[in-house]
Amino acid sequence: MTVRDPVCGMEIESQSAFAQREHMGQTFYFCSKSCVDQFDADPHHYVMTSATTGFNPERTLTRIELPVADLPFYKPVTTLETGLRALEGVHGVTTNAGAGVLQVEYDSKKVNIPQMAEVVRASGFQLGGTNIRIDIENLRCASCVKFIEDELKSTDGVLSATVNIATQEATVDYLPQKATLAQLNAAIEAWGYKPRTATSDAPVDKQEEAHAREYGRLMKMFWFSAIVSLPVLLFAYPQYVPIIRDLSMNTIRWTWILSAVATLPVLFYSGYDFFTGAWAAFKHRSANMNTLIALGTGAAWLYSTFAIAFPSVFPEGTSEPFYDVVAVVIALVVLGQALELRAKGQSSAAIKKLLGLQAKTARVIRDGKELDLPVEEVLVGDVIQVRPGEKVPVDGVIVEGSSAVDESMLTGESLPVSKKKGDEVIGATLNKTGAFKFRATKVGKDTTLAQIVKMVQDAQNSKAPIARLVDTISGYFVPIVMILAVWTFVIWFVIGPQPQLVYALVTSVTVLIIACPCALGLATPMSLMVGIGKGAEHGILIRSGEALQTARAIQTVVLDKTGTITKGKPELTDTVISEPSPVSSDQLLKFAASVEKVSEHPLAQAIVEAAQARKLQLAEVQDFEAIPGHGVSAKVEGRSVLIGNLKLMNREEIALNELEEKSKSLADDGKTPMFIAIDGKAAGIVAVADTVKEDSAEAIKALQSLGIEVVMITGDNRRTAEAIARKVGVTRVLAEVLPEDKANEVKKLQIENRQSKIVNVVAMVGDGINDAPALAQADVGLAIGTGTDVAIEASDITLIKGSLKGVVTAIEVSRATMTNIYQNLFGAFIYNTLGIPVAMGVLFPFFGLLLSPLIAGAAMAFSSVTVVGNANRLRGFKPKFSAR
Amino acid sequence: MSQIQIFVILSGIVLTVLIAWYFWFAPKASTRAAVSASGAQEVAITVKGGYTPDVIVVQKGRPVRLTFTRHESSACSEKVLFPDFNQNAVLPEGEQVTLEFTPAKEGEYGFQCQMGMLRGKLIVE
Repeated sequence: MTVRDPVCGMEIESQSAFAQREHMGQTFYFCSKSCVDQFDADPHHYVMTSATTGFNPERTLTRIELPVADLPFYKPVTTLETGLRALEGVHGVTTNAGAGVLQVEYDSKKVNIPQMAEVVRASGFQLGGTNIRIDIENLRCASCVKFIEDELKSTDGVLSATVNIATQEATVDYLPQKATLAQLNAAIEAWGYKPRTATSDAPVDKQEEAHAREYGRLMKMFWFSAIVSLPVLLFAYPQYVPIIRDLSMNTIRWTWILSAVATLPVLFYSGYDFFTGAWAAFKHRSANMNTLIALGTGAAWLYSTFAIAFPSVFPEGTSEPFYDVVAVVIALVVLGQALELRAKGQSSAAIKKLLGLQAKTARVIRDGKELDLPVEEVLVGDVIQVRPGEKVPVDGVIVEGSSAVDESMLTGESLPVSKKKGDEVIGATLNKTGAFKFRATKVGKDTTLAQIVKMVQDAQNSKAPIARLVDTISGYFVPIVMILAVWTFVIWFVIGPQPQLVYALVTSVTVLIIACPCALGLATPMSLMVGIGKGAEHGILIRSGEALQTARAIQTVVLDKTGTITKGKPELTDTVISEPSPVSSDQLLKFAASVEKVSEHPLAQAIVEAAQARKLQLAEVQDFEAIPGHGVSAKVEGRSVLIGNLKLMNREEIALNELEEKSKSLADDGKTPMFIAIDGKAAGIVAVADTVKEDSAEAIKALQSLGIEVVMITGDNRRTAEAIARKVGVTRVLAEVLPEDKANEVKKLQIENRQSKIVNVVAMVGDGINDAPALAQADVGLAIGTGTDVAIEASDITLIKGSLKGVVTAIEVSRATMTNIYQNLFGAFIYNTLGIPVAMGVLFPFFGLLLSPLIAGAAMAFSSVTVVGNANRLRGFKPKFSAR
Repeated sequence: MSQIQIFVILSGIVLTVLIAWYFWFAPKASTRAAVSASGAQEVAITVKGGYTPDVIVVQKGRPVRLTFTRHESSACSEKVLFPDFNQNAVLPEGEQVTLEFTPAKEGEYGFQCQMGMLRGKLIVE
């Protein structure tokens, strides 16, 4: 009989087994002594039947409902049913196409769910389970793969399970109403492995933890070097320190030898990163800050040690050591790194704030039971109960109940939005008044919030074009500094004053130490991170550093009319009654709305909504008739009503008198007038129009005051377009533009000033699918967040709040961030171009001024802290013109 | 000018040439990505003071799977960025992190840590 060794997984013959053991009624065979020893140490660990399966051994038949995705209503599924019945252990199969489930009665000892799932799939059906991937930590042994798979498969509710050793991942299909993630994890733990599922906020927490650890490590390194620095510093300048001043030369020599010994651990412990980093970089034929610090402190220590070991080799007065440089510089630079780390942590505050919006748990209803589950375990299709005052855990659609939901954290809409059955709810928003149940449609990394976080994180790590220039410079920076240090040494040695060797060494070490490539390298990414985070806080998602940099220079903003300047939805604007009128204004609207309620015309909806807003009771309609190209006719409360255009009125020979004049002026305003006749007499006009958003005019004025030309683009006719343009203060209108030509128009604007050699930076703001090519063509495409996904995908910046004010804020954020980047770059550049020559001693011939390497170390350490500090200053940014 | 001064000047010249040659002009060793059974070009990269290997040659149009393992705690290398591919990843110490993307155009693309202290190059052929 072939059996499996439960420890190593090897297949062996039971007769030739090295040993065998009885445990809990099972017999185990082992291939070797080490396996049997491991088993003896913890036999229970290897028992095959899982404590997590939940099988009831008393009951032989188990009943299960298998959800099958595409069960047909109209024909029996004989292949499927006979296929299942053919399995040994299956006793009964019932199909319930309405509920989309197969009810199977089976003997759990003879057949398991994965086998049944196999049959379902083989018959051409999809099992409606759910799929999850679980990371398994440190999965090293190939034989354990099989055990974990078996254990998972024997867990109740699991349809199939595969474990991949290469990716260290288990992929499990399971029925969420039968098994929970905790049970799956328990199955993996049963084999001694640690499962780990990706949770949305873990990376940030982990990073924070890592930062805290690193900060602690750096501070320990700092304190060690600082404590050593103190005595070393005192003995390095014996002539200035009382008591030490009076010691004999011989005693002082001994303190120097002690300093040499004391600074050695400073180099190897506190300076460990510099030396290993420098060596690693050297192996890669590159050099960085570590190289400079390691070279500077290393040279100082070697020279000093040589000088005190062989004083006779050196000219008179040059055999003095610089151990103070070694200890103090390392202490300062390490302290600088620690402070920099601390400041960096603050710059990811925006992401933390966003993640903090996420609900931690969800009340999921499965099998009629309410379960409090961690939000990571919520699955698409789960029904979730939300009570007043609770957060909506994931995205979904309401299936029962209604409420008002505060969506301000994501959309900026300050008033709670009323939601009823069929409406969408967004995860992380706050339920205010009522209780409701909703079906989850997006979970995990697909939720709106997760998408926003991902977008912001990606953008924070992207590069502004200016950073590429900096990269090119810093690629040459360190070797150039090294060459400068060499020549500083040579010049001081050849033409410098006595003692030449000391001057030459001190100046070249100072050059190495003062140069700070870090400040250059940090300048852009730090500001970008804070700036993009700041944008996100104000509802502006900037997709990349490039978009951020370009937005600063926008000269022309092209605004799509419908949905961008306007609400994108027609509304009733005017009701006019004829003189004398057979009806009142409200009655006119009531008649119109009653008739239009039956119509399917898009403008009809606006009239019905207006009537509902005025709380008018709509009447029954008879004999409704649509007259194509003209309008509609119907009977309401026994009176005949005609609604339509001029053509309809002329056809019916209805005298319009002064109404015709009124309708013309309404049309001039960009509205669509509709005549209403009651009982063959003109009764009045209702006019509908796509109305302008409340703050569009204000936003356009703000853009113009920033010196930006605002252009409106639309497919509408010129008269309507110009009417809207007048209202919001736009003078340049591109009307009657076909959707496919929008991108072309943007291109024309971009090259408009070619003669004057100025490339026009054009931004396009739009919301519809038809705007996508134009958004992509523009230098910066801004999508209104309430718009379609296609538009958002094609854009560089997404304005979550539907308001045009976001465009102004986006430009403000961009300008503030870019100014901050320029300040940082300027500072870092000036620091290096001034610091290095001073360190080389250019001021010495004129003022006798030389920089101490200690001061150089302090300057270097705090220059990068300053850059990070300046970037953090951006956190206080407040847009002058904020979208409420 | 004394002999020792001439010696120092000559040494300065030699060092300058050596530095320039070593860091800028010497040819760099590159690593060609191995193609795995799944058809992806896989490279494992160690992060410690630098990227090993740091020059990686891949073919265009085929998915590239780079697995980074960071063996240091210095905060500088905690992220790796591929700005040209809009890819980035946080590298927790000691954990394997995989980045996957498909380069469509040939050329040389840099990758680096957030502040550009560690650098590498992806050469797409």
